[in-house]
Amino acid sequence: MFACLYVPDFSVQAVLRLEPSNTQEALRRSPVAVLDGPVTLPKVTALNEPARKFGIEVGMTKLQVESYGGVTLRKRSLDSEDVAQIGLVTCGNSFSPRVESTCLGTAILDLIGTEKLFGTSENIAQKIFATAAEQGFDLRVAVAANPDTAMYAARGFAGITIIPPHQEAERLASLNVQLLPAAPETLEILDGWGIQTFAELAALPEIPLTQRLGQSGLYLQKLAQGRIKRTLVSVDIFSTFVESYEFDDPVELLESLAFLLHRLIQQIAERLMSHSLATNELRLTLDLGVTQLRNGSKGEQYKREWKLPLPTQDKNMLFSVVRLDLEHTTLTAPVQKITIEAIPIKPRHVQADLFDPPTPEAEKLEITLARVRGIAGSTDNYGIGCVGSPRVVDSHKPDAFLIQPFLSESRTTEKRVLRPILAPRLFRPPLETSVEVSGGRPHVIRLWKSPCRVLAAFGPWCNSGNWWNSRTAWIREEWDVVVKTFGDVGYYRIYRDQITGAWFIEAAFNK
Amino acid sequence: MRATPLLRSELEALFPEAFKTHQPRRHDTISTGISEVDLATGGIPVSTLSEICGSGKTSVLTSLLAHASHEHYCALVDGKDSFDPASADAAGANLSRLLWVRCGKSKQKLPPLEQAFAIADILLHSGGFGLVAVDLGDFSDRLLNKIEPAIWFRFARAVEKQRTALVFIEEQHHARSCAGLVLNLKTKHSPLSSTLIMKLEFEAELIRTADKKLPSSVRPIFALRTEWA
Repeated sequence: MFACLYVPDFSVQAVLRLEPSNTQEALRRSPVAVLDGPVTLPKVTALNEPARKFGIEVGMTKLQVESYGGVTLRKRSLDSEDVAQIGLVTCGNSFSPRVESTCLGTAILDLIGTEKLFGTSENIAQKIFATAAEQGFDLRVAVAANPDTAMYAARGFAGITIIPPHQEAERLASLNVQLLPAAPETLEILDGWGIQTFAELAALPEIPLTQRLGQSGLYLQKLAQGRIKRTLVSVDIFSTFVESYEFDDPVELLESLAFLLHRLIQQIAERLMSHSLATNELRLTLDLGVTQLRNGSKGEQYKREWKLPLPTQDKNMLFSVVRLDLEHTTLTAPVQKITIEAIPIKPRHVQADLFDPPTPEAEKLEITLARVRGIAGSTDNYGIGCVGSPRVVDSHKPDAFLIQPFLSESRTTEKRVLRPILAPRLFRPPLETSVEVSGGRPHVIRLWKSPCRVLAAFGPWCNSGNWWNSRTAWIREEWDVVVKTFGDVGYYRIYRDQITGAWFIEAAFNK
Repeated sequence: MRATPLLRSELEALFPEAFKTHQPRRHDTISTGISEVDLATGGIPVSTLSEICGSGKTSVLTSLLAHASHEHYCALVDGKDSFDPASADAAGANLSRLLWVRCGKSKQKLPPLEQAFAIADILLHSGGFGLVAVDLGDFSDRLLNKIEPAIWFRFARAVEKQRTALVFIEEQHHARSCAGLVLNLKTKHSPLSSTLIMKLEFEAELIRTADKKLPSSVRPIFALRTEWA
């Protein structure tokens, strides 16, 4: 058996699907028309049933439609239609691995072998109907013994239609021949013969029909009889989890952007879940509404990528990560179009170790880190991270470290020897100072603008590195000094940069 | 009825632990890794705000992080970016379990001190960290004295509900009665080696303890050796 998922007024539904759920339902019941064409003269390309009853027709200009009053107008979005088609196929994929994306608004799935899992054809059709409704589709579903019969039944009858085997011709009988994929000339001939329905076409004798209309006429008759059997051309859309939306007018406020982002991320998360997949990488592209005055092209984009430490399907977590980042971003222009992509990977199945220390929840941690990054910043002026786990770099360069992403699942089993040591308190960047040298050793140091006498100086220890690169080379002469400060004694590490000749205080030992 | 005490005494003789009532520990603690300090304080109490002040606080913090990172996930909110990861690594810290937040390093709107408090608040409420250390050691007392008591009080109340030790590192203690443990350190000047700074001695003074009893008059002295000693 085959099931056909057909979305009537697909262009309208694709646009309405991204509306807020409460207004979506109200818009379905009210007249909506989709406009397309040149900016100066947009025309109606699609409309819903209430709009048809209202008297609106395809091809009307925007001005004509506006004269009716009370009709909601939306701009056609090809991206939304593509995304809606992917959503439709994904919906089919949650019931069968073999799904054909027949055309925009139509998907056919092979139900052979799914009866044990989902029950009878009626049950499957009802489940498909309910799942599609959750994804924002007002669907027609038809189940039949061959794909084309299911497709014409879905296009011709509202709601759920089940056609048992060998009853195809009987059930399709009342449909109009205009539904068939016939050339306009063929339809004109059929109209001239007085053929209006599938039943009338099916009743014609085969040989005279072939003599007059050729093989295409015979093919149309077989379609009307429900006798065409073909194999499905199934599609694989596993690799793309992309949602996008183009605004009619550029959006400036984060609230409006966040609202739509939440909806797009929710749809991606639902699709990931339906495929038992998760994501650890999100890519956001914002097309900014900047028009280049010289050539009139729109080119500026804001791109951002988030790599999560762990794969997740949690839509709220994904949304929080994006939103927290956008809150601290200043865009140069209003946003015209949003595209968000999730890179799918297998979800994490890890059982916590009984003897591991309590850890911050992996999903919650990423939001916490995003909030912390929002306050402390992501990187310093040298491009080194401000939030993460430190890692000491194997280098002779003093204070050489890296910042790695902080993970709540570090599996370090290495036993380290613990020993309390005298840890220096670093000045980052080192404090520039002036030093009076006597007999080749520091004699007086200026600490916070006050001269302080050096009681003892240990050194010099010379080190250097990166001599092959003039920009990153360093040569320094280090001294550990004991300094008489105001009523106390201080222990400091100072050094002289032998390239510039300047003295710096690097660290304090007794702070 | 007389048989009951007899039976109990016989059972007690056989199973001495059977009739002992369980005394829950009031505070779990995290060792600082310095035996003299641990002996005097009992360790850094969990679910309590603690303050480590004076000269030598950085070394105590590094040792505390080294010890805590083997049993807990730790966070260090570094107010002025003065933490030395190389020293912590040498002290044996598990750096992969340490979240280091370097405040005041990028062009953010908040000043570093406010950043440190805001981040400490977020980390404390996120849960899962055994130790949250906030290093305010390089901020002037004039600035820290302006912090309203309500903020310290809020931190003290927040940490009570968490299985986290909250430690503030400062030049002088400021949290007053909100702190469960206040440890003040001083450098004891001892004769120096002729060629290197090998070790320094510190004296620890307990200003306030976790059980709110009057602190002991004993002032433990401990020596810390440099990495190369």
